[in-house]
Amino acid sequence: MRFEDELLPHLPRLRRVAYALARNPADADDLLQAGVERALVRRDQWQPGTRIDAWAIRILRNLWIDTVRSRSRAGETFVPAEQGDAIGQHGEQEMAVEMHNIGRAMGKLPPEQREVIALVMVEGFAYKEAAEILDIPIGTLTSRLVRGRDALLGALGEAA
Amino acid sequence: MTIDPETLAAYADGELDPLTAKRVERAIAADPALAAEVDRHRALTAKLRGAFAGLDAQPMPAGVEALLKRDANVVPFPTRAAKPKPQRWYGALAASLVAGLLLGQLVPRSGGDLGFDGGMPVAQGQLAHALDTQLASTTDGGLVRIGITFRDRAGDLCRTFEQGTTGGIACAQGRQPWRIEQLRSGMGGNGGTAYAQAGSPMATLMADAQAMAAGEPLDAAAEQAALKGR
Repeated sequence: MRFEDELLPHLPRLRRVAYALARNPADADDLLQAGVERALVRRDQWQPGTRIDAWAIRILRNLWIDTVRSRSRAGETFVPAEQGDAIGQHGEQEMAVEMHNIGRAMGKLPPEQREVIALVMVEGFAYKEAAEILDIPIGTLTSRLVRGRDALLGALGEAA
Repeated sequence: MTIDPETLAAYADGELDPLTAKRVERAIAADPALAAEVDRHRALTAKLRGAFAGLDAQPMPAGVEALLKRDANVVPFPTRAAKPKPQRWYGALAASLVAGLLLGQLVPRSGGDLGFDGGMPVAQGQLAHALDTQLASTTDGGLVRIGITFRDRAGDLCRTFEQGTTGGIACAQGRQPWRIEQLRSGMGGNGGTAYAQAGSPMATLMADAQAMAAGEPLDAAAEQAALKGR
């Protein structure tokens, strides 16, 4: 199967991670686009038989560190209110509101907690896999995870 | 006995070794506050996943999908966000050479086996046809081989498949399109499920299938009946 076909099914996951990292939809879509382009250019560095999603997430994250974060564009939430409302038109309004609240709570986290939350809690990576993607020790990962969770629970209230 | 927050979180995530997990379970049994904390962690995880799943329902940006489509330009355009770097050119050159080699092999049989349906990867073309009609352990003269057929916990019909060195799991609800749940490369290519070494991509795929399945795989008669329902 072509490299492109290998990567294709993981686009939704890459987009979720991009949105978790970038904090606003415009930056997230740019990041996703740039990440997929870089993955295509570096396709020969991927080892068949290893997880292509983890590999592509690493590319996405490095790109984000190199470019998007350095621009430090002032983004407040990864889903602005008007976009949340647009989602509500095809789905449930409730979901849109929840996404908005969670986006805002995520956006307040320091980036190093946000990426851990995204990989472990949202994407369900095992601690070991997430630590490898982020290139940090497991102990660092777990302490960031706990701090991030506590902050989210605080921001979202007991309803969470 | 005190359980630190990291350990409790790891317990909620299913990340502890069995011995430590037992220790935490005993502590939870003795302390309702700990139990409530674990519930809060799990509820937060569910809430986060639910929120991000809302994103999946939205269409992919056209530019992104186009990059991976069959006829997409092999050498990507420089991105707006990234600064062009000198080594990029070599990478692109290498990529186009590799792609040229692969293309030569794949063009005759590639009919666009993967597509998107509302942001969700789905089988189409030859792969969808095989999933719809082909019985397990046959190739029907085609390039797709179906491994096992089973029902997942939601009652959806799921099948493992192999095509060349790629394998995966696809599931469908009723007559809906086949969603690609798993895709792995590095399969043996001989299609056999008999010699799946532990830790090999095939063994991992089978383990994933087992984890998803509700009950045993369907036997030949049940498989045939299930496919008729499509």
